[in-house]
Amino acid sequence: MRRQDMRSPLARAMGLGSARKGVGHWWAQRISAVALVPLTLWFVAEIIVHLGSDYGAFTAWMKSPTVALLMILLLVALFHHTALGLQVVIEDYVHSSAKFAGVLVAHLGCCALAVAGILATLKIAFGR
Amino acid sequence: MSGAMEADRPTPCLPGERPRPVSPNIQNYRPQLTSVLSILNRVTGLLLSVCAVMLVVWLVAGAAGPQAYAAVQGAISSWIGRIVLFGATLAFFFHLCGGIRHLVWDSVHGFELRSIYISGWAVVAATLALTAAAWIAGGIMGR
Amino acid sequence: MTTRSMIIDSSDQAPRTTLMKRFPVPRRFHTTAQSRIQRGRTWPAPSGATRVKAFEIYRYDPEQAGNPRLDTFEVDLDDCGPMVLDALFWIKNKVDPTLTFRRSCREGICGSCAMTMDGTNWLACTRFISDTATPATIYPLANMPVIKDLVPDTSHLAAQYEMIEPWLHSKTPEPDKERLQSPTERARLDGYYECILCFCCTSGCPSHWWNADRFLGPAVLLQAWRWLADSRDEAKDERLDILEDPFRLYRCHTILNCTRTCPKGLNPGKAIAEIKRMVVERAI
Repeated sequence: MRRQDMRSPLARAMGLGSARKGVGHWWAQRISAVALVPLTLWFVAEIIVHLGSDYGAFTAWMKSPTVALLMILLLVALFHHTALGLQVVIEDYVHSSAKFAGVLVAHLGCCALAVAGILATLKIAFGR
Repeated sequence: MSGAMEADRPTPCLPGERPRPVSPNIQNYRPQLTSVLSILNRVTGLLLSVCAVMLVVWLVAGAAGPQAYAAVQGAISSWIGRIVLFGATLAFFFHLCGGIRHLVWDSVHGFELRSIYISGWAVVAATLALTAAAWIAGGIMGR
Repeated sequence: MTTRSMIIDSSDQAPRTTLMKRFPVPRRFHTTAQSRIQRGRTWPAPSGATRVKAFEIYRYDPEQAGNPRLDTFEVDLDDCGPMVLDALFWIKNKVDPTLTFRRSCREGICGSCAMTMDGTNWLACTRFISDTATPATIYPLANMPVIKDLVPDTSHLAAQYEMIEPWLHSKTPEPDKERLQSPTERARLDGYYECILCFCCTSGCPSHWWNADRFLGPAVLLQAWRWLADSRDEAKDERLDILEDPFRLYRCHTILNCTRTCPKGLNPGKAIAEIKRMVVERAI
C-alpha cells in the first residue's frame, strides 16, 4: 500500500525548491557542440581520404602534430558532450535512486574513455 | 523504462478514494515532425555514444600495434562492419544537422512554425545527401 | 503528401494523414492498471439520418466500477453545428446525457474545452468536424488525471503556475498615475499575454509526460517569460532564480510540440528560448 501524498498541490509543485543552477551544464553542452561541428567533419573527411591505407600510413598520419592535436581536441569535446548528453537522458527517464548511479557511471565512463583515447593518440604520435 | 508512473504521481483524491486514471500520452498522441525529429536526435545521439566507444577502441588498437590494428580494420571491413559504419554515418550526419538546428534555436531564431517545418525537412534532406556524398566519396577514395 | 501538408504555416492546420497515427508502442505501454482503456458501447445514429459520422469518445465514471472505456457515437451531422463541441452537445442533448466535458465561451477564448482530438490537442469549440478523421477520436487532454469523461484534473498545473508568481512585482513605490511603459516595451508582451491557459501545450509535451512533477511545462514557462519581459516588473532576479533549475526550466529540449499545438497560435518554444537566453546573459 503506497503512502498517500497528502501535500497541497503547491507544496508538491515546489518540491525542494529551485536548484538555482543549470545554465553551466547548458552552456558547456553548447560549447562542446560548437567545437564538435568542425572537429567531427575534419575527422570524417580524414577517414574518407585515408580509406584503405595500411598501418604505416595510419601511424605516419597520427605522428603529424596537427593531427594529434585535433584528435585530442576531438576526444575532449566528444566525451564532454557525450557525458552531458547521457546525464540529461538518464535524468529524463530514470526517477528512482538508480538515477544517481547512472549519472555517475556516465561521467566516469566518459572520463575514462577520453583519457584512454588521449593516451593512445599520444603513444602513436610520440612512439617509435 | 522507469518513468513517473501514475501511482507515484500526486492525485489529489481523499484517502480511500479510487486513484484517478491518467489519460493516454505517448500511447495516443500523434507523432509530428516536431516530436519525431526530436526523438531521432536523441536516438542518434545515443548511437553516437556507442560509436565514441568504438573510436577509442580503434585508437587503442592503433596504439597497441599492427596486429591489433589489423584485427579492428578487419572487423570494420567485414560486411557487418560496413553496415554498422553506414548506420554510424547516417546517425552522425542526422545528429550533426539536428544539432546545428538546435544551435540556431538557442540564438532565438527560426521559431515560427513555417521555419520549424522547413528546417526540419532540410535536416532530413541534408542527412541523406551528406551520407550519400560521404559514401560515394569513400567509394571513390577506396579504389 | 503535398507541400501544403509538409510545411505547416500555422497551428490551426489540422494534422492530416501521416506515416504514423501513434508511436509504435503497445497501447498498454507505461500505464497503470486503472488507466487502461477498454472497449465501450456503440450508440447508433437516429433512423433517417443521412450524413452520419462516428466519434470515439473516452468515457470514465468515478462512481462506477471499471476502467475507462471508448464509446462510439454516430452523430447526425445535418442536425449538429460544425464544431466538435457542437457534436459533443448533440450527443449530450440527444443521446447520452451523462457525457461530461468542460465548456464555456464556445469561441476559443476561455480555454475550457481543451482536449485531445485525433491525437493532437486543440479546443473543441474551434476544431471543425470536417477537419477530423473518420472516426474522430476524442480523449481528455493527454497525460492528465481524469475526474470524469473528458474532464481532467488541472490542479497540479495550476500549482505550477502559482509557483512562478504571475503578478507584477514592484519594489519602487506606486506612482501617482500608471506605471509608464513605452510602445516598444509593451510590444514585448505581444504573443505572450494572449495565453488562455488551456494547457494544450503542456499536455502535449513529451518532456512534461516524463517529468510532470518537476518540469514546469510550456504554458507556465510562457507565462514566466511574460512577466520577465514586462518592463514594469522589478523582480527579474528572483524570477530567474525560481526558474533556473535542471528540471523546472532545463527539461525543455526544444521538442516544439507546444508551438505546433497552440490553439491561439502562440509560441511557447520561443518564449522558453528567450528565458534560456536571459539566464545565460546574467551568468556570462
